[in-house]
Amino acid sequence: MRFSTLLRKELRESLPWMLLAAIIFLAIGGFSLRQVQLGGWYDWSERYFSSRPITETYGLQYRRSPLQIIGPVLLLTSIGLGLVLGVRHFWIPYFTRTWPFLIHRSVDRKTIFWAKLTAAIITFLISIGAVWAAFYSYSCDPERFAMMPIKRIFIEGWLFVLLGLVVYLGTALTALSTARWYTTKIFGLAFATVIIFATILEWRLGRAFAAIIIGAVILLSQNIDSISNREF
Amino acid sequence: MTETVLETQGLTKYYGSTLALDHMNLQIPRGCICGFVGRNGAGKTTAIKLMLGLLRPTAGSSRLLGCDSQQLEPVIRQRIGYVTEGHRLFRWMSINELEKFQRAFFPKHELEKFQRAFFPKQWDDKFFADMIEYFGLPRKRKIKHLSNGERAQVSLALALVPNPELLIMDDPTLGLDAAIRRQFLEGMIELIMREGRTVLFSSHILGDVERVSDRIAVIDKGVLRANCSLEEFRAAVKKVVLSFADSTPADVDIDGLLHLRRSEKELELILVGTADEQIAEWAKSNRAQNHQIVQMNLEDQFIEYTAPANHRRLFRWEEK
Repeated sequence: MRFSTLLRKELRESLPWMLLAAIIFLAIGGFSLRQVQLGGWYDWSERYFSSRPITETYGLQYRRSPLQIIGPVLLLTSIGLGLVLGVRHFWIPYFTRTWPFLIHRSVDRKTIFWAKLTAAIITFLISIGAVWAAFYSYSCDPERFAMMPIKRIFIEGWLFVLLGLVVYLGTALTALSTARWYTTKIFGLAFATVIIFATILEWRLGRAFAAIIIGAVILLSQNIDSISNREF
Repeated sequence: MTETVLETQGLTKYYGSTLALDHMNLQIPRGCICGFVGRNGAGKTTAIKLMLGLLRPTAGSSRLLGCDSQQLEPVIRQRIGYVTEGHRLFRWMSINELEKFQRAFFPKHELEKFQRAFFPKQWDDKFFADMIEYFGLPRKRKIKHLSNGERAQVSLALALVPNPELLIMDDPTLGLDAAIRRQFLEGMIELIMREGRTVLFSSHILGDVERVSDRIAVIDKGVLRANCSLEEFRAAVKKVVLSFADSTPADVDIDGLLHLRRSEKELELILVGTADEQIAEWAKSNRAQNHQIVQMNLEDQFIEYTAPANHRRLFRWEEK
């Protein structure tokens, strides 16, 4: 009852950002997919997004999966949403001085934190995860696209969604820190950035997933410790 | 023996190198209204946050309802009402939504008025509705669209309705007009009329403290300077004006002397805890023509009591 009340409150506070992220991802992703479907962006994407000109090197017919084109949009939306939610859940209450009102109630601080995190996960699942799944299912129709998306790309997309959660936890840790900016306060965001690069640069899915999980666990434990001991 | 509901021992807080609270030893017995007064930056909010476990002390400890403030269990928090400084509530919620949110943290019961006193920490919808109606607040209006006074009233209703055993309020009447302050204080008295309820409230407005408190704690620059009943404080701080035929005595050595102001033939003394007989005796021995104990209100007493020893005028044009 208490947890669900806290969760509802956090979800309500996340709602505008949930909608905004979903609209942005849906609009840009949908537009890109449509362009791909019409054949307009195929060459363009090949020229600008391919790191190596495979077609020239090997003389192969190189085709990108349509879903790959919206990968960067997914990543950026996910990171952006993580940042915004982290600020909304952990920084804004500091500026509006509502932390004492929230903290002084008959639940422990960890419950408050879990409610915020659960709200963030739900927000990610709805605004980005569901849209990504919809794009995947749209791309799987052979009548729409000549090249079918492979499952790996779909999983990569979910790793990007998880990266957004890592950014959320990093932002939360930075917001909860009482240290100065030039000292350990920046640790949360810096660590999240390291995890983003470690994931993007790693082409093996298992290792990328492991990097995200290890990063998330470290940030999570730091966050739980911070909220339990922080002064409000 | 009177039960102590709030107790601090050597409570100290440093922010970096700044001392905000210096070894505060405060005891508040059950069933009293304690006015916690001090100037701006005296350490009232810090002390309250330390008591509620929202801040960590640099040294010392505090106990609320027998439980260490740093380990306040959710069940204990349920028994403590807290009105935050500036009545900071969730701005996007309406009064109805806020009620629903707050209610979830208490067991809900429909109680008759006489029953409320015996069932602490239980949310009472009827009581909340009564209070909102009494204050004339629009239930569907969002907090961000309420005035300061209206937010204060919502804040008080949210804190009072669960019938807390201990109510702690951080400057609850700050920024409110006289009429709303009166309503607010009446709400507080309503709580105290129930058996065994205790209130600690900080305030700058000494008139409010005088109106409702039976106990006063004075804090100055982080040091607790007084913690006694209001009557004791009122009787202890005195202003005495002595007139002399020739000139005022060079040395003034009377017990309890706090401040001394001298003019050519007059001496104004601020004394703490000095008996009237002792004053009369001193006046006689120093050949004062007459002496008069001037009646002061609580505000004057507080200002004199907390004034720095070398306090000067803000503007000193005459001296230039």
